[in-house]
Amino acid sequence: MIDSAVWAAGLDLVALRPLLETPIDVRLVVAPGDRILVAAGETVVAGAQVAERVRDTRLEEITGPVADAQPGGRWSGELGPGGLGLRRRAATASGELLFATDGRWRVATGTHVEPVDSPVEGTVRFVRAGVDLVIRATGRGLPGVSALGAPARGVLAIETGPDGELRSGAVDVAASGRILVGGSRVDAETLTRARAMGARGMIVAGLSGKERRDFLASEARQRAALHRPPPFAVLVLDGALRRPIASAIMAVLAALAGREVAVVTDPPALVFDEPALSIPTPDPGWVRVRSGPLAGGEGRWAGLAGPRRFGPGTHLEAGFVEFPGEEPVALPLNDLERYA
Amino acid sequence: MGPVTNDPRAFFAIDEGAASTAAAIVARLSGRWRLLASASFPAAIETGTILALITERLRLADPDLAATVGTDDGLERWTRLLVRGRPAGRIAVVAGAERAVGPFAAAATLSGWRVSTASAERLDPLAMTAFLLDPGFDAVLVGAGEPPGADERPALDDLAALVAAIVRRRPDVTVVLGGAMADRAATIEDVGDRPGALLLAPSPGGPAEEAALRALLDELRAPIDDARRAIIRTLRSLADALDRRIEVLELGVTGGLRAHALPGSGGEPGTVRAAIVASAGLTGEDREDVAVDDLMAWTTIALDRHRLRDRLRELRTAPWGDCSGDGAHLRMAAARAALSRLVDLTPDLGALPAPDLLVAAGGAWAVAPGPAIALALADVVRRSGATHLAYDHARLLGPLGAIDDDAERRTMVGDLAGELLAPLGSVVMPQGLHPGRPAGRLVVRATSGTTEVELVAGGLELVDLPPGETASAELHFRDTVRLGARGRNFSVDVAGGLGGLLVDLRDVPMRLPERHDRRREILAAWQGALWGGGEG
Repeated sequence: MIDSAVWAAGLDLVALRPLLETPIDVRLVVAPGDRILVAAGETVVAGAQVAERVRDTRLEEITGPVADAQPGGRWSGELGPGGLGLRRRAATASGELLFATDGRWRVATGTHVEPVDSPVEGTVRFVRAGVDLVIRATGRGLPGVSALGAPARGVLAIETGPDGELRSGAVDVAASGRILVGGSRVDAETLTRARAMGARGMIVAGLSGKERRDFLASEARQRAALHRPPPFAVLVLDGALRRPIASAIMAVLAALAGREVAVVTDPPALVFDEPALSIPTPDPGWVRVRSGPLAGGEGRWAGLAGPRRFGPGTHLEAGFVEFPGEEPVALPLNDLERYA
Repeated sequence: MGPVTNDPRAFFAIDEGAASTAAAIVARLSGRWRLLASASFPAAIETGTILALITERLRLADPDLAATVGTDDGLERWTRLLVRGRPAGRIAVVAGAERAVGPFAAAATLSGWRVSTASAERLDPLAMTAFLLDPGFDAVLVGAGEPPGADERPALDDLAALVAAIVRRRPDVTVVLGGAMADRAATIEDVGDRPGALLLAPSPGGPAEEAALRALLDELRAPIDDARRAIIRTLRSLADALDRRIEVLELGVTGGLRAHALPGSGGEPGTVRAAIVASAGLTGEDREDVAVDDLMAWTTIALDRHRLRDRLRELRTAPWGDCSGDGAHLRMAAARAALSRLVDLTPDLGALPAPDLLVAAGGAWAVAPGPAIALALADVVRRSGATHLAYDHARLLGPLGAIDDDAERRTMVGDLAGELLAPLGSVVMPQGLHPGRPAGRLVVRATSGTTEVELVAGGLELVDLPPGETASAELHFRDTVRLGARGRNFSVDVAGGLGGLLVDLRDVPMRLPERHDRRREILAAWQGALWGGGEG
């Protein structure tokens, strides 16, 4: 049943956006050939190695019998001469069994491996060789709309206000080991400089498509290098356009400043394990403009306005919002959101 | 959903889409079904809240009527006709040779799936394993010709073994073996009991086999309450009830539906041909660059490519938002782009004779004024002839399809036809004019009077013809043109609507300048008059 007071005010017709989510299942992607080092039900701590990622995966064929062979199972043994690497003599190897035809197994193997660490503390829910492993984090998650890079962990540092824009010149070695709160938007240059300075991540309200592409191209080059930098993650809270970080989110970030947090990419979220930390409860009557010309603005809900005309030929359901120090204005309900 | 006549008075019709929820109150008054109220809100809003809102509005607007239909009896007891739109599922289509992938991928594309393809010819077994292990796939379609071609045969055993290995790792995935791959079903059955299904399908070598494959893939795509499947059922009833040839173009965030219905005759039931296309969603397909290109082709907003990409991303993140100002124009550009993709992928439906009635449906059109919807349809669906246009403004086509009983659905659709379809007007589209030259003369004889217009090829002529009015349009061309048939003098019946009579003298098919600024100017000029005086 709808609470009559809330219904009378029409606030239920404003989309609700969860501020924090719990539990949060963090997914780490692995590829065929990668070795998962944990099993379902195991407890992992943040920073613990949970997998080995093979950098030079190749396909080999095993001619002899393999005991207890299953797709996705591990195998180690001797590879005969030949193969894709055109070995001149037999070599010892290990890898992941893929499939068998005519009694001969194909195996994904490689020489160079790198560790995959858990960005969060939690319990392994399940592992799927060649696909992923999922860890249920013990902490809470602050969801974003997208994330780039690789899951990373660091100390949260607020570098600018909710509507500020972090410039590359403002990032120095003090950012090392930190996850920076970059305000309303950042450019690719700031992101790459932060990564070069040893920062572990960036949290930002908006990241434009161009900056996203530039950063992803740079990230791909870095990951292809022989000596890879530590993981770096970018969490986008709202979308592609510039808008201030929501005050409810900023309050969470302010409470977490100086504490260790993780940015994970699947799902895109900031994860923190601070059970004793008091998070301010969002004001139920406070709404935020999600889209449209006033995007990012926040104010107090002042009731339903009914269908209104917004521009030529466009009639939309509307509600009144009272911005601080201003008269209430009617805005499309579709453009509003509130946190809880 | 069972018969709804157990409740003699009223029910809720609900279409829960991926981006928005539409709800309506339909009631039986004086022996016929009537649409009393409707509203649409973002999907994040609880359906119960929307139902409470429209019920309250009905009470406020007409308390006696509200009492008659039983709004005081407890809304929980009302029947609900509910359909749902869900994000399109992803299917991996693989085959032994690149050539063999195409027909299977085409069938999956027209069945509403988001399709990714691979072949043993293009990917080695390691890459193929990684491809098929993607947990984003809901199903895997492994196809081969019947009989398999020489280029496919060497890879089929390896492919079957590889898919069997994938199934062991992902027992939840549904596998469809098409054509000669069905002979290797035992390889996958050996995996044992698992939650995912193993289905056998024909190779789409002929029309019957293709139809069978598409039917199977459509069954697999969505559960029984799927909104698009329900629209197809309603369309069949609507064509029968109105005894007219009807085409529906439905666009949502998750895809589009194009369906063409012929009424039954001589005791034979009506027929519907339909295609559901995931890439015809409002925000485009997975390949963002293609989606941006499509949007640039139709936008009237002067934005560079990067900014347009950002706006498209925003639309994907919050498809219900930014519906006013230039956001409304951007949505209509996105709708045109989506409609173009739908039309391009369904040439067989486009080749059918022009329908008597063309219906726009779906959330993509939700915030545009009626005349703008009419022009968007005329912009993209370039087919010579005269067609009435309408809009499913309350999104009732889906929920009415939830009625199982054909006769009952037809009765209800017949009662509601005048209210569920908002008349947009008529479009008359001759083909074969020479641009820039005087083309002839139009005389519209309506009950309100006679209108005469000189026609100039290459442009649009708008004749005010309000909803509910019917008229006879006489067209006298200087040269021979095609308007359904070839000739110089035509007389067609037209119906009024929010957009009036639109005489479209532009090229068929449409030719627009390559330069974006020039293209924008032309599109804006055409749209300006139809957005209630706003700039395009």
